[in-house]
Amino acid sequence: MLSGLLYRIRALFRRKTVEIELDDELRFHLEHQMEKHLRAGQFREEAMRRARIELGGLEQCKEECRQSWGIGLIESLVQDIGYALRVLIKSPGFTAAVALSLALGIGANTAIFSLIDAVMWRMLPVKDPAGLWVIDQGLTFQQYRTVRDNNQVAELAAYSSVHLNVSVDGSIEPTVDGQLVSGSYFSLLGVNPAIGRTISVDDDRVPNGHPVAMISYGYWKRRFGQEPSILGRTLSISGTPFTVIGVTPPEFFGLEVGMAPDIFVPVMMQPTAMPAFENLLDNPIIYRTWLTTLVRLKPGVGVPQATGALETLRRQGLPQGAKSAGPNFPNLVLTPASTGLSSLRKQFSQPLFVLMAVVGVVLLIACANTANLLLARAAARRPEFAMRLALGAGRWRLTRQLLVESVALAALGGLCGVLLARWAMRLLVVYMSSGRSPIVLDLSPNLRILFFTAAVSVATGLLFGLTPAMRATRIDLWPALKSLGNLLSRGHGGLQPGKILAVLQVALSLLLLIGAVLFVRSLQKLAGDNFGVSRESVLIVRVEPKGSDQRNIPGTTARLDRTYQTLLETVREIPGVRMASLGQSTPTNPNPGAAGQITLPSGATVRVPMVMLYPDYFATVGVPMVAGREFNSTDLRESSPLVCVVNEAFARQMFPGENAIGKSCTTSHRQNFNDPTRPRYSDQEEAVQIIGVVKDSRYSNPRGEVQPVIYMTFLQTPTGRGQMVLHVRVAGDSGSVLPRIREEVLRVDPTLPAFEVHTLAQEMDAALVQERLIAMLSSLFGALALLLACVGLYGLLAFGVVQRTGEMGIRMALGAGRSDVVWMILKEALLLVLAGVALGIPVALGVTRLAGSQISGLLFGMKAADPATIGTAALLLISVATIAAFLPARRASRVDPMVALRNE
Amino acid sequence: MTNTRIDLPQGTLDLLILKTLALEAQHGWAISERIQQISSEVLRVQQGSLYPALHRLERRGWIKARWGTSDNNRRAKFYELTRDGRKQLVDEAAAWRKLSVAVAQVLDVC
Repeated sequence: MLSGLLYRIRALFRRKTVEIELDDELRFHLEHQMEKHLRAGQFREEAMRRARIELGGLEQCKEECRQSWGIGLIESLVQDIGYALRVLIKSPGFTAAVALSLALGIGANTAIFSLIDAVMWRMLPVKDPAGLWVIDQGLTFQQYRTVRDNNQVAELAAYSSVHLNVSVDGSIEPTVDGQLVSGSYFSLLGVNPAIGRTISVDDDRVPNGHPVAMISYGYWKRRFGQEPSILGRTLSISGTPFTVIGVTPPEFFGLEVGMAPDIFVPVMMQPTAMPAFENLLDNPIIYRTWLTTLVRLKPGVGVPQATGALETLRRQGLPQGAKSAGPNFPNLVLTPASTGLSSLRKQFSQPLFVLMAVVGVVLLIACANTANLLLARAAARRPEFAMRLALGAGRWRLTRQLLVESVALAALGGLCGVLLARWAMRLLVVYMSSGRSPIVLDLSPNLRILFFTAAVSVATGLLFGLTPAMRATRIDLWPALKSLGNLLSRGHGGLQPGKILAVLQVALSLLLLIGAVLFVRSLQKLAGDNFGVSRESVLIVRVEPKGSDQRNIPGTTARLDRTYQTLLETVREIPGVRMASLGQSTPTNPNPGAAGQITLPSGATVRVPMVMLYPDYFATVGVPMVAGREFNSTDLRESSPLVCVVNEAFARQMFPGENAIGKSCTTSHRQNFNDPTRPRYSDQEEAVQIIGVVKDSRYSNPRGEVQPVIYMTFLQTPTGRGQMVLHVRVAGDSGSVLPRIREEVLRVDPTLPAFEVHTLAQEMDAALVQERLIAMLSSLFGALALLLACVGLYGLLAFGVVQRTGEMGIRMALGAGRSDVVWMILKEALLLVLAGVALGIPVALGVTRLAGSQISGLLFGMKAADPATIGTAALLLISVATIAAFLPARRASRVDPMVALRNE
Repeated sequence: MTNTRIDLPQGTLDLLILKTLALEAQHGWAISERIQQISSEVLRVQQGSLYPALHRLERRGWIKARWGTSDNNRRAKFYELTRDGRKQLVDEAAAWRKLSVAVAQVLDVC
């Protein structure tokens, strides 16, 4: 087997040597044979002649030997490719047009496929990724410690993604993404440092006792110019010096696809690294599962066994009163972590697969277009084929050569497509990153992507090349040869497949247009549904004054409250500011506050996010009240009776069919902030009255159900956090007010760092990044499909008009007016388009039925089979197609009967 | 004399070449001479088909070629059997014997 292959390779690539050897061998034979005859007494000439006759023709023998080498197929293929390239170079316009439309199709496919690959399938660069599992649920530190120390089934490691305030040499860095990692993290993953050493178990023993950090390769390169002296340098994290002990390898970006943490700090350093946050190593006030836990099973341990063992231990750490397996405490689940964890995957996998289908259809349309062009071209090349067939070329040989031409075209398109895709992917990632944090994806081409593109290109070439090639070589030789010159002007039966292709194109582009209109309208609804008020004019400033982390320390909350009140008063004084308020988070945040426990009048206990606010919050951000009233300054006082505002989702779920206003719930979470002599929590149940209901903020979860939320005033909310977000509604241009706000913020408290100033509109756009992405891309691809289909239609009609010049001449000579001719062509075009629409609509309905769940998950307030949408798309298609058809029709009407008839 | 010669049946040339090479390495011309001598000039080897057959056998890895010096001191391409070729010869020879015995039997009976 192998020797045969080597033999062939030698015959192919050492062709000259092999030929010379063949010559030598046969010459040797002839000489011997001649000598034999000479010895038998023949004359030299005769001996030579006999020897040659006995061999039976030197060239023939050589040719048979060459056939024995088994490289004939490859050789003729090489010939075909050479010929195809020459043919393509000879008609650069045609080649460029086809290559461009294929490049668009293949490039779009490659780009989306690469994104899917990067988000879904890339294996983590860690040791034995297949053996790595992750616990779906987060753990508290206590749970993690319990499970880690007491289980017999697995090795554990944990991490938590955080933002860190870093300064280098005294100057503050822009906020850095980082991770708190357990000491076992790097060893469990088998990740070795690029330089220095990794954080080890010994770096993670004593709370606040190990001020060491690792930085990422990217950060090292970007910020420190890859200087080895980084080892041993100190970075200041939230004011505490940390020593850099190592750099992670360049291919390591943590476990979350799309993220790129730059600093790694031991979990034990959490309170030091995040002073503005509660101490999560202690028992926090609120059940906060902040650690993502990685699991490597011990040999011989199965997943079900491990799940059971880990679950038992985890349950020990659940908060009191919540041990019943309620919906808030789903059972522990282990998921494979081999391809990384990703919220990105959850967010973008569905749109990416829908987009994959869309670009697949675009490619089909591009194929149909190319097939149409090739059909026309094949008609033009018929004399050439007829001649070659007449000279004895096999039909299969001709077909194969045409297919090679198509595949060469497709390969060219694929090549351009790959370049296009690389560029498009960068744009896409930038666009996807307009969300809350930058997305870092490994988009370097790998074997899978290369194979995909190559396969798509070849399949494309065969798909659009097969029909034209089969038709082109099925020629009735006699008439074809007889009228070599004016073949083009004969008959238009050859257009039949062209028409079918045009109808298909129209149908497919209608499909994409319907999709595009659907997604755009869904986005419009989503964006316009909630905040009818001008969202441009709300500024957002996150403020974290010193001490906002130590709310639990007696006296702090009152001080914070005074700071905030002063801030609000001064900001409200600024000219141009219409309203200002503070809230724990923006209305777009899907996790607005920590979950708190509340008992309904029915006696049921629920856990819902509790959000701290100041009065006027809802008016400032523009969330309308549905019923009741907003907070006033009386509600703000700690001593006032507890009151809350809930969102519609809460009212709907907890009090179905009832009016929630005035309902009284109870909570035991009231804290005592100010008097150190009293216990921190009152044991007493205290009533919380619902005073208002606000509209759901769909931005917090654009795709799914809005979660119930309770809003309470700053001093009444039971939480350890004290950071707030300043919301300012301005009257005019926000640009002029912004510096004043920053100034005032600093004046109230010079230690108050103000960062992340942007508008609510930006936040909302970021929250809708997935919707905008899919609406934008589907519109883009829909437009592309429309363009391709119209170009195809135009080409078909233009070709037909040229073919029928004589017919037009006769018609006009017999008295047909220009408008008659225009109408005739238009009618033909409209018939094709209507046929396409008639085909496309049922297909679209079928697709929405089959993939309904996929699509409707991406739609908001819209049915996939929406008549208005289908109508809009069909109308758009028909009008654009009519314009495309009008151009050749007009040309047909300009035919001069005299000229046309003379040519005929 | 020419009339008594038999054209080789399809596929037997390969067998004869392998058998000829079983003794020693030979160049192409010697192979054709050898076959005719041994078969008492009964079998007629088409010289034109000998070389394609040699190349085909070489591709299949049953024989391999090397350049050497012939009796009269000229450069010649010598073929020799490979291990696979030897095995192939045993198999083909056995098959041929079986076939000829069977054919002979049929002819005798009828």
